[in-house]
Amino acid sequence: MTMTATRIFTEWRDKSLDDALLECRDMVEAPDFETARRWREAGGKIAGHFQVYFPEEIVHAAGMLPFKVRGAPLEANQADSHFGSYLCSILKTSLELALSDVVEMDLFISHPICDAARNLAAIWGRNVDYPSQILYLPQNPNSSGSIDYLTHEYDRIRRVVEEVSGRTITDEDLQNSIAVFNENRRLMRELYEIKRDTPWLIAAEDAYALVALAGMVPREEHNELLTELLPKIRERDNKPEDRIRVVFEGGFCEQPPFDLIRMLGRTVYVVDDDFLIGLRWITEDVPVDGDPLGNLATAYIEHSSYSPVQHDLRKPKEEMLKQRISDAGADAAILAAAKMCEPGLEEQVAYTHSLDDAEISYFLSEFEENMSSFDQLELQVATFVEHLLFA
Amino acid sequence: MIITAGLDIGSTYTKALLQNEDHEILAKAMLPTGFRLQEIARTIYNQVLEAAGLSENDISYVIATGPGRHQVDFKDLQVTDLTASARGANLLFPGTRTILDIGGQTMKASRVDEAAKVISFRLNDKCAAGTGAFLEKTARYMGYDIQEISALMVTSKQPVPISGVCAVFAESEVINHLSLGTAPADIMQGAIESLTGRSVQLMKRVRAEPEFTLIGGILRFETMGKTVSDLLDAEVNVPDGDMVQFVPALGCAILGRRRLEKLGSDGRMAGAGV
Repeated sequence: MTMTATRIFTEWRDKSLDDALLECRDMVEAPDFETARRWREAGGKIAGHFQVYFPEEIVHAAGMLPFKVRGAPLEANQADSHFGSYLCSILKTSLELALSDVVEMDLFISHPICDAARNLAAIWGRNVDYPSQILYLPQNPNSSGSIDYLTHEYDRIRRVVEEVSGRTITDEDLQNSIAVFNENRRLMRELYEIKRDTPWLIAAEDAYALVALAGMVPREEHNELLTELLPKIRERDNKPEDRIRVVFEGGFCEQPPFDLIRMLGRTVYVVDDDFLIGLRWITEDVPVDGDPLGNLATAYIEHSSYSPVQHDLRKPKEEMLKQRISDAGADAAILAAAKMCEPGLEEQVAYTHSLDDAEISYFLSEFEENMSSFDQLELQVATFVEHLLFA
Repeated sequence: MIITAGLDIGSTYTKALLQNEDHEILAKAMLPTGFRLQEIARTIYNQVLEAAGLSENDISYVIATGPGRHQVDFKDLQVTDLTASARGANLLFPGTRTILDIGGQTMKASRVDEAAKVISFRLNDKCAAGTGAFLEKTARYMGYDIQEISALMVTSKQPVPISGVCAVFAESEVINHLSLGTAPADIMQGAIESLTGRSVQLMKRVRAEPEFTLIGGILRFETMGKTVSDLLDAEVNVPDGDMVQFVPALGCAILGRRRLEKLGSDGRMAGAGV
C-alpha cells in the first residue's frame, strides 16, 4: 500500500464551507488526535517532532507521517511527575501524549529550543520503546559553516529515519517531498494573504485550525483541503467590520487555547501571527533540483521566519516584529507569552521597548494551554481596542 | 443626514435605537432576547427601521453591545456595555461620574471622567443574587408577575431582611418568611434592599463619586432608585421611563457618529487595512 495515497481526514469532504470548517475545528480541538490513530491503523509509521521547526520533508520522503507535537488539551497526570511545576505546560502535555498512548509514535525528534525542552528528548526516550532523537539546528546561523553543518545534521536525521521506517530515502524521494511541501507553503501563504487582505472572510480560529491540520495529516491531504476551501473562503460575502487589526506574537511554541483564539477573533482582526510558525517556517519555495538536504538547509538559514528560539543576528526579532506589523497593515500587536516560557517572556521585554519607541500600541498578556476562563481577558482586550478606536 | 444605530443584545432584553446627528431618537424598540441572537438582532433592527420609515441603506453606522453583541452579523463595530453605557449616560446627564447598571444577569458599577471615558469598573460575581433575575424569581415564587412588582413594593410596611449573598439561599429565606406569614410586599422590598446593598458595595469599590446615574431594567421598579438614593444619602439620576433600558444602545449610536467622524471623508474602516 502507498501510504501517501491514504486519506485519514475525510469528514470535511462534500460539505458546505461552514460545515467543512466546523469539521476542521473539531478535529484540531479534539484531545484524542484521531488522525494519528487512523494513520497507524492503516499501517503507517509516525515521527513526532516537537516545536518549533523540523524539516518534515525527510520524514515524508520515508513514507512516514510527520506529526507536530504541540501540546494537547489534556491533563498531564503521568507527565507531571517528570517535570518540575515551574516548567511550561507544553512539555508536560506533549509527553503525556506519549505516556498515555494517545498518539503512538515510532520516532520522536526534538530540538533544544530552551533549557526545559533540551531535556525532553532524554526523558521521552527513557519512557518509550522507540528512538528519541535531538536535531541540533545551528546555534549560530550567521557562521559561514552553518549550511554545511546543517546539511550533515539533516543527513544524520535521514539515516535515523531510514532505520525506523525500514526504507531507503533517495534524493529523488526527498525532491518529491520538497515539491509537495512547496505546494503546501504556497497554499499557507495564500491563507495568510486572505487573513491579511480580507480578514472578515475567515475567523481567526478557522485559520488556526487550517494551519494546525498540516501537522496532523499527510501534506498531500492538507494540500487538497486548502486547495478546495481557500477559493470558497474568498467567495464569501461577509460584511467587513470596523475592527482593529492586530498581529499576535507569542504562539511559536506552546499554543494558546482554541477558545482564546476564538475570543480574540471576535474582538479584533488577527491579520498575522506566529501560531505554529514552525509549519510555516520556510518563507519561499525550496529548489526541487540539486542536493535536497543542502537546499533544505539553505532554506532554513536564508529563507525563514523568526522566533525567540532562533538567534540570528540578521533577524533582530524586534525589527522582524515591526516588519510583520507593517506588512500586515496592523494597528497594534498582542504580545502574549506562555506562562513559564523563558524565551517568550524574555523577548516580550525587547518587543515592548521597541514598540514603545516606534509608538505602536500593544497589549501584553500571558496564557497557558489549559486555561479555560477568558471573560476577564476579553474585557481587557475590548478595553484596549476601544481605547484605540475612540482615543 | 447621518443616522446611526445602536443595538444592545442583553441577556434578557434586546434593545435597538436610531439616532440622527441632532441627537434625536428616531425610533427605539425592545424585545425579549430569547436564544436566537442573530435572529432577534435582525428582527429588532428591521422593527426600528420600519418605525422610522428608513431602509438599511439610510444607516451610516451600526454598533452592537451587550453579551450577545458578537452575534450581530450586520454591525460595523462592537463595544463593551461599559463604554456604551458611559456615552449614553453622559448625553442624558453630562455630570455623570458613576454609573450603576443593573441588568437581568449582571450588575456593573463604573466611574467615568468628564469625557465619558471609563476610569474604573467592577462587575458582580457570577451570582444571580445581584441581578434582575433574582428579583423576578422572587416575585414569581410568590405568584406575582414582573409588572406587578412595583405596585407590590410600595405597599411594604416592614421589609424583612434577605441575605442576598446567594440567590439559592435567598429562595430558602423567602420560603421561610412566607411560612411565617410575612407579607409578600415586605419580602419583595427586602429583596430590593438586599440587592441595593450589593450594588452600593460595588459602587464603593470603584470609588464612586457624584453624579450617580442608575440604569438597567431594575430601575423600572420605582422604589429601586429611591432605595439606592437613600443608601448613598445622595441624589441619583434615573432616565425617564423605559430609557433606563436604552442607555447602552443610545451610547452605541453616539459612538457610531464619533467613529464616523474619526474615519474621515474616505470612510475607510479600520479593518480594511492596507
